[in-house]
Amino acid sequence: MSGSSKKGLTLQEKHGLTGWVFLTPAVLLICWTSFYPMIQAFILSLKTGMGVNLSFSGFSNYTRILKDPTFKQTLFNTFFYLIIQVPVMLVLALILASLLNNKQLRFKGLFRTCIFLPCATSLVSYAMIFRSLFANDGFVNTVLRGFGMNPIMWFANAWTARAVIIIALIWRWTGYNMVFYLSGLQNIEYSVYEAARIDGASPLQTFFKITVPLLKPTILLTTITSTNGTLQLFDESLNLTNGGPGKSTMTMSHYIYNTSFVQSPNFGYAAAMSIIILILVAILAILQMKVGDER
Amino acid sequence: MMSKGKKFFMYAFLTIFSLLSIFPLYYMFCAATNKSIDVIAGKLIPGTYLIENYKSLIANQNLGLALWNSFRNSFILTVLCLLVCSIAGYGFEIYHDKGKDAVFTVLLTAMMIPFAAVMIPMFRMFSSLNMVNTMAAFMLPSISTPFMIMMFRQASRSFPHDIIEAARIDGLSELAIFFRMFFPTMRSTYAAAMTIVFMNAWNNYLWPKVILMTNESITMPMLVANLLGGYTVDYGMLMLGVFICTIPTAIVFFCLQKSFAEGITGAVK
Amino acid sequence: MKRKLISALLALTMVISMTACGGGSGASGDSGSGDAAADDGGAAADAGTDAAADSGAGQEDAAPVEGGSADENTLTVWTWDPNFNIYAIQKAAEIYAQDHEGFKVEVSEVQSDDIETRLTTAVAAGDLSTLPDIFLMQDNSFQKYATNYPDIFTDLTSSGIDFSQFSSAKVAYSTLDGKNYGIPFDNGAVINCMRTDYLEEAGFTIDDFTDITWSDYMEKAKVVLEKTGQPILTSQAGSPDLIMMMLQSCGSSLFNEDGSVNIAGNEELKQMMDIYVQMVADGTLVEVTDWDQYIASLNNGTAVSALNGCWIMASITVAEDQSGKWAITNMPKLDGVSNATNYSNNGGSSWAISSNCQKVDLAIDFMNSTFAGSNALYDDVISKGALATWAPAGESEAYNESVEFFGNDAIYAKIVEFATHTPSNITGAYYYDARDAVGVALSNICQQGADIDSEIQTAQETVEFNMGG
Repeated sequence: MSGSSKKGLTLQEKHGLTGWVFLTPAVLLICWTSFYPMIQAFILSLKTGMGVNLSFSGFSNYTRILKDPTFKQTLFNTFFYLIIQVPVMLVLALILASLLNNKQLRFKGLFRTCIFLPCATSLVSYAMIFRSLFANDGFVNTVLRGFGMNPIMWFANAWTARAVIIIALIWRWTGYNMVFYLSGLQNIEYSVYEAARIDGASPLQTFFKITVPLLKPTILLTTITSTNGTLQLFDESLNLTNGGPGKSTMTMSHYIYNTSFVQSPNFGYAAAMSIIILILVAILAILQMKVGDER
Repeated sequence: MMSKGKKFFMYAFLTIFSLLSIFPLYYMFCAATNKSIDVIAGKLIPGTYLIENYKSLIANQNLGLALWNSFRNSFILTVLCLLVCSIAGYGFEIYHDKGKDAVFTVLLTAMMIPFAAVMIPMFRMFSSLNMVNTMAAFMLPSISTPFMIMMFRQASRSFPHDIIEAARIDGLSELAIFFRMFFPTMRSTYAAAMTIVFMNAWNNYLWPKVILMTNESITMPMLVANLLGGYTVDYGMLMLGVFICTIPTAIVFFCLQKSFAEGITGAVK
Repeated sequence: MKRKLISALLALTMVISMTACGGGSGASGDSGSGDAAADDGGAAADAGTDAAADSGAGQEDAAPVEGGSADENTLTVWTWDPNFNIYAIQKAAEIYAQDHEGFKVEVSEVQSDDIETRLTTAVAAGDLSTLPDIFLMQDNSFQKYATNYPDIFTDLTSSGIDFSQFSSAKVAYSTLDGKNYGIPFDNGAVINCMRTDYLEEAGFTIDDFTDITWSDYMEKAKVVLEKTGQPILTSQAGSPDLIMMMLQSCGSSLFNEDGSVNIAGNEELKQMMDIYVQMVADGTLVEVTDWDQYIASLNNGTAVSALNGCWIMASITVAEDQSGKWAITNMPKLDGVSNATNYSNNGGSSWAISSNCQKVDLAIDFMNSTFAGSNALYDDVISKGALATWAPAGESEAYNESVEFFGNDAIYAKIVEFATHTPSNITGAYYYDARDAVGVALSNICQQGADIDSEIQTAQETVEFNMGG
């Protein structure tokens, strides 16, 4: 490894350079289409005003966040979704993926496609269906009545409405995350499982001792993206409950969108709230990377 | 071999989960074959109104154009995205060092800001470049995504270094190693990534709606939105539109799932 | 072999996308015109004939006409709903073209929310060149844009359009500081649409619900519930629509003349909230989860009546088997409020001419001779349920025809008359903020049992907070 090349670079340096060349197009594109607008958004977050007449006002948009009860409410809602939904969904996806990776299983393709389908289903129909399923005289309440229980006014109570959102999220995104696990599982040699089976390991042991550790890079990927996705949750809040009852299911992104495009526009404030989301996600992502990204 | 009981439990679990998952699709299908008034009454049996719904759909909307646009956009975007992101993810992992890891962490932040916040600066950027209403403006923001780069970076971790070393000894260039060794070996990752990118491109709504303003650039999600916008909604027609909008992603998934789930076990030696 | 195929595919895709990117840059004819994007250059040139880029103007970056049409006789329009607004503007163009050969409109179908998103994005990015010549806007949003972004409109005050021929409440939506920014289009007069068969069962006729007060209405509603088992009204939970209609019926608003918030201490508002809550408690008003359920309740006969903008008729008449079982009257009025009337408004929209329009004279003349001056147009669009707010239209024969579905009543003339009695209200830039806050208060009160006074106070503070930034 120590032989120097013609240009006076070590092989290692040369490879390092090749690496940089490989990632340059992607990095440049991201800088141009993401970081540049992000910097603009940050500058915008320091401005206030009506319509297009904006002027610099320092950090007043940020101090304003502290006084905003709606923001606090949406922050609470969003974190509530995060804490409940992400772990349940990822564990479920992992279980499904390892079941569907079983060589002896029949109709695998059919099962996989069925379980994946929810995330391909257009938001319009999915929102309509969930609203009608959980309507006051909808399917779910009919079933509850059938079991002799009292029907629940799902969308009339803050906690049950949040529950509906979480159920909907899990329903929609479990199959999506399963895709990553399925593809990650292909990189684990089947012989490892064979060996474990011969050694008499139970399926549960195999799952925790082999599947989970070897899938760690994928688990990290899905954890970061799901965290990010949940903190930026928008569609469900808007289409399923429209934030109601009151604002008890509204998410931060939904509030930001309203501030920009539904209410009288206040872009500076919306940008400031977005920067806060960015910081929150970044902190969580760095923590997750620290825990999960050891080589 | 598994015991009978376990096997039964496993099939039962998967069947229930699958049924729950496809119920909305079934609902969509039924709705697409029924009259609007029956849909709203919650009829859950397929009806006989499919042809009428289809006729009113094509009378109302340019279905062919929307399908074609969606296909073309999603296809080109998927290919470009996979190319750019996979090579970057490979670069980040295979040649990783402190500098690249740091750059990667910074890149990740690019996906953490809500889109509503960057939409206006982004529009300003493209409009000052005179790129409003161009395909490029629609695609550029989604070609290189931290998410996909990370996916390939994480997947590259299981790509054996011996292969690379062996290929180098054989005199292959670094680029050739990527295309001839990594690319075919990681078929399962590519297939999974392709599904995800295609689906996201297919369902993308907000940005194309803002940046592509001509009638000629209508996509399927825009078509569905148009069906929803009137004072009266024809639910049968709407659900037929939604159904047609869902099918292509389902087909793409069904075709690719074999490759990413049963792909190449054993190919990596 | 397979690998070669893949690389060939890759290369091809690159070429396609590159040419596609290049082709669109100057002209607005997008590459999506149909066939392979590779010959996009040609496609864009062809597009020039019917729309986007007239040879000279479009090729160079002559930015001003990017959104507006470059063709002398063509106007570009953003609007929504092929069975309503799009139909109307195309009909108008047809009528106008009879005297102006070659005139046509190029309609882009865009949802009202999306029109707003596009306008906001374009104006905030400082690029108005993408706007069309004409666009349609919801009346409830009009003030938001007129206040925040007056630059996107062409001032129509001295355009020669006679605004006095429209109902004054309607014109008020698109007027700011004495300047007219919009041409009123469809009517949103509130109607009380009732199932006469249910009323009969309860021993009432439609006359028993005409020109009455809310207290009377609430008592009769109880009788109807008792006799038929059905609630008189259904409402989308958390939607402030009903409250807003009641509010306007007595000329009250969520804002004062000077723009300050008028929620806390608004006696009428409190009275309306009380009525709403009481009716929910009585079971005469049932809250449903969403709009689809609301329409379903009307079509399935689980509601005795609908109190809404007259455009709701289009959704009611879908249930063909209920023909003849519906009748229309005015809404109840508030007791003990001096300005209270039986008339209000919900929804409706107005046309605006954008500041990017290069053919303002043509656009104004077009509007003046159609939406502000053509009986033929309004007589025709009535078939789609679009009712005029232009007073002369109501006198034509088409408006006096009886409608079988609604018990052979001449409902159109009736509704146009309702519209003339509607008091105007103040919307203002923060109308949605205030409306939303009232909706939140209402849902907290009805669904979570919160206290009315404190919720109204919170709503006031929310709106003031939004205005403070």
